[in-house]
Amino acid sequence: MTIQPVGTSLAVDIQHVGKRFKRHTDRRNSIKERLVRGRARKPEDFWAVRDVTLQIPKGSVYGLIGHNGSGKSTLLKMIGGIYRPTEGSITTDGRVAALIELGAGFHPDMTGRENINLNGSILGLPRKDIQAVTEEIVEFSGLGDFINDPVKHYSSGMYVRLGFSVAVHMKPDVLVVDEVLAVGDEEFQRKCFDHLYALRRSGRTIIVVSHGLGQLEALCDEIAWLEHGELQTAGAPTETIAAYLKRVNSDEAARNPQIEAVRDDDGDPRAGDQSIRVRSARIVDLEGKAIGHAETGTTFQISLEITAREPVLGPNVRIALQHESGPLVTMVSNHRVETDFGIVEGDRTITVALTDNPLLPGRYRVHVDVFDFSGSKLLDSWNDAVEFPVRSQTGEIGQGFVQLPVQFSIT
Amino acid sequence: MLTDLYTRRALIFAFANRDFATRYRSSILGWSWSLIQPLATLIIFAAVFSLVFRIKAPELGNGEGSSYAAFLFTGLVTWNLFSGLLTLSMTQLKSSGELLKKVQFPAWAPVLGASLVQMIQVLLELGVLVIMFLFLRNISWTWILALPILVGMALFAQGVGLVLSIINARFGDVMYIVAVALGALYFLTPVLYPISMVDGQNELLSWVVKLNPVSWYVEGMHDAMYSLVAPPALVVIGLLVGGFLTFWAGFWIFNRWSEDIGEML
Repeated sequence: MTIQPVGTSLAVDIQHVGKRFKRHTDRRNSIKERLVRGRARKPEDFWAVRDVTLQIPKGSVYGLIGHNGSGKSTLLKMIGGIYRPTEGSITTDGRVAALIELGAGFHPDMTGRENINLNGSILGLPRKDIQAVTEEIVEFSGLGDFINDPVKHYSSGMYVRLGFSVAVHMKPDVLVVDEVLAVGDEEFQRKCFDHLYALRRSGRTIIVVSHGLGQLEALCDEIAWLEHGELQTAGAPTETIAAYLKRVNSDEAARNPQIEAVRDDDGDPRAGDQSIRVRSARIVDLEGKAIGHAETGTTFQISLEITAREPVLGPNVRIALQHESGPLVTMVSNHRVETDFGIVEGDRTITVALTDNPLLPGRYRVHVDVFDFSGSKLLDSWNDAVEFPVRSQTGEIGQGFVQLPVQFSIT
Repeated sequence: MLTDLYTRRALIFAFANRDFATRYRSSILGWSWSLIQPLATLIIFAAVFSLVFRIKAPELGNGEGSSYAAFLFTGLVTWNLFSGLLTLSMTQLKSSGELLKKVQFPAWAPVLGASLVQMIQVLLELGVLVIMFLFLRNISWTWILALPILVGMALFAQGVGLVLSIINARFGDVMYIVAVALGALYFLTPVLYPISMVDGQNELLSWVVKLNPVSWYVEGMHDAMYSLVAPPALVVIGLLVGGFLTFWAGFWIFNRWSEDIGEML
């Protein structure tokens, strides 16, 4: 829950809201069923949203995140007035326009211009206000002369562009947007965002559901996280997203314990004289516990169990990291960082720590090569020793493969 | 509550405009179909019932014989208004379901919009009827009474239609039951035959025909347009007020039952 400074007014006040649905599996949908089987004995109910309390300040951009089925869309539909809450109350200040789907209500046989009129009326705008913004909508959609063609001849891109243009020009006090930000090409998307910012500047409130966490982090003032219909946390975007991702990552690890990035030697013949053989490769955390993935910015380790058949003096272990798309990202070796293992014999474990993991999200393969002290004789070569994913903590995906420790300054 | 109708009139007209513009858009003959259809029905029925069943229409108001076709079309216009609004209300609400799940707006708006377009159709038919009577020289001031009677019929039909449409949204069978019931009611309404024909017939049948409210409106139209007899003022007022009350009740029930329409359809 967020605490509002005194004097800030709310656009939407959600108090202990719950929404219960009847399961459709046993719905008496026809009169015959009602007559033959009587009333449903015990309707199986489930709560799509339960006891959610949120206060959305005026003029803010508010994000909702959560898994599919977490109740986000149900909550949006209640804010938009499409569903009635089963319990609790939702108070909205001003006119709400809900964009559950772009271009909902467009009639295929009518022209773009006629559809602007129809859609505007459906969204509750008086006729003269619609006429006042029609040219603006045409301009914004970039449809040009196509505006006088029936929308059934539009490409899907043109269709959603018009839908978005109509909705955002209806000047609602509260705009509710369900996963419709990713429309059109790059240029149009930028226009959309600019327009949303302009809406916010004019004091309007935007509530948005999206799975694009990076997008949300950039756009939102606050974010609420829903899970199984219940509010987990709400507040600053970065913290909420981080908490959400942490849960997503740990859930995945819990669901798939075997996914841990661990690989044991399968005994295949390898290059090298095999005086040293790498027995297993695993991705582990600082405590040496196997983990399913690494996180950008968090130190993790690659742990190699080796067996030296005979004493080997100062071997050089080279680890290459290859991105899933092909490029070799980096190669590290103990010689390069001037670490001497001394004489190695029997079963040993070599651990490489990647401090503050600079790898950006993606999948990476690990190749291991072991050379003698001179670096000229190959002892073992294990291609594709192990593969592991790197995830983001913040929702930021980033460009390229690594984030470098940089500092900017201006003089 | 009824003031909502006024505040959201733009929305009703927007839906009416949509339905009007798209009704016959993909057909070559366009709106001519709205006349070809009832006229074809008229020709077939007039031929079958006056030639095969030899039903005699009552005397025309001008005292110059009778015309079964004119008599039949008077009833048909009234009946089409009733059955058209009923059927259209149900299909229209159903087909607005997807939209109602995504945008919040009053669910009666598309229904009433479609009904407005249907009324344009009825006005066209009425025009043909007027031409027919002009041709027969069967003219009188009593024609004016056709307007309050038809308005009453429209309000009555819309009231019933609203209730049926909201029940149909929940139980999809209603539409089919209504289709069957309308088929039966058609013969229990004095459209194809003068109401005098049921007198002295099966007692029960006669009562059903006379208690059927649609019969009252059809009879009112027969009087005003065909026989050129003014029905008593009380009857005309009764038909209008009865229609209005039915509409008001239907609208109230519709609003009560459509609160969860977004989940129902």
